[in-house]
Amino acid sequence: MTMRPSVRDAMLAAVPSLRAFAISLCGNVDRADDLVQETLLRAVANIDSFQPGTNMSAWLFTILRNLFRSEYRKRRREVEDTDGSYAESLKSHPEQQSRVEFEEFRVALAKLPSDQREALILVGASGFSYEEAAAICECAVGTIKSRVNRARTRLSELLAIEGADDFGPDHATRAILSAGGRS
Amino acid sequence: MQTDALIRKVGGGRLSREDQRRLGDILQRVYDDVVRQGVPDRFKELLSELDGHKGGADSDQPAHAQGSEGSHDSGGLVEAKAFPHSKGSAS
Repeated sequence: MTMRPSVRDAMLAAVPSLRAFAISLCGNVDRADDLVQETLLRAVANIDSFQPGTNMSAWLFTILRNLFRSEYRKRRREVEDTDGSYAESLKSHPEQQSRVEFEEFRVALAKLPSDQREALILVGASGFSYEEAAAICECAVGTIKSRVNRARTRLSELLAIEGADDFGPDHATRAILSAGGRS
Repeated sequence: MQTDALIRKVGGGRLSREDQRRLGDILQRVYDDVVRQGVPDRFKELLSELDGHKGGADSDQPAHAQGSEGSHDSGGLVEAKAFPHSKGSAS
């Protein structure tokens, strides 16, 4: 299992995105980083089973997802429990308004069922195709599509409801709606 | 009230394309915010440690110095230098 520089570089290049995926899965930066570390250890130990010509990033995502799910089964409740360390990690963000948005969004995201959440993130943020996401999640392409759709719908419902609780009905909605126009 | 009505439609089924796009934008920004943090040192160190273990640190030549074990050398494995992002390559 000697690693050539090109393999190591490909792994390193995948790390930022792996972290983002891990954080959105477990909502806790420290645990996410442990998950990434374990993923890299597994990957290196099993580098011989990496198929040349396939996507290194997708392979690592698959390993990470499997690790997360086996851990998730062990401590089902705890995993959903976010402790604000994610918000902490965003502390450097310059725009106050964005941080409010981020925080609301993160809370809503954490409430999605994990299969919907992972599908949405893989397709909507990590940039995988539906086919790649289906391979990573070991399910049918149609299943991924419907999970993504349900995730989006649920997310917008959650954001609308959260806003109603805290700031009146329009707050979260407006945050969402104005976000689109900003850039 | 208008925005409220806008989101209410959701109950009926699919989100409008516009709402999908807006949700997508936020999701992407939240995600990218982490991505922009780059590779923490801990992972750089980890990988070069794991690597150094087997072979000569970051030299070009594969682990020849480590002796006989290098014979099978996983040759074809990394031969594919570029990892083409094969779309839809199911397992």
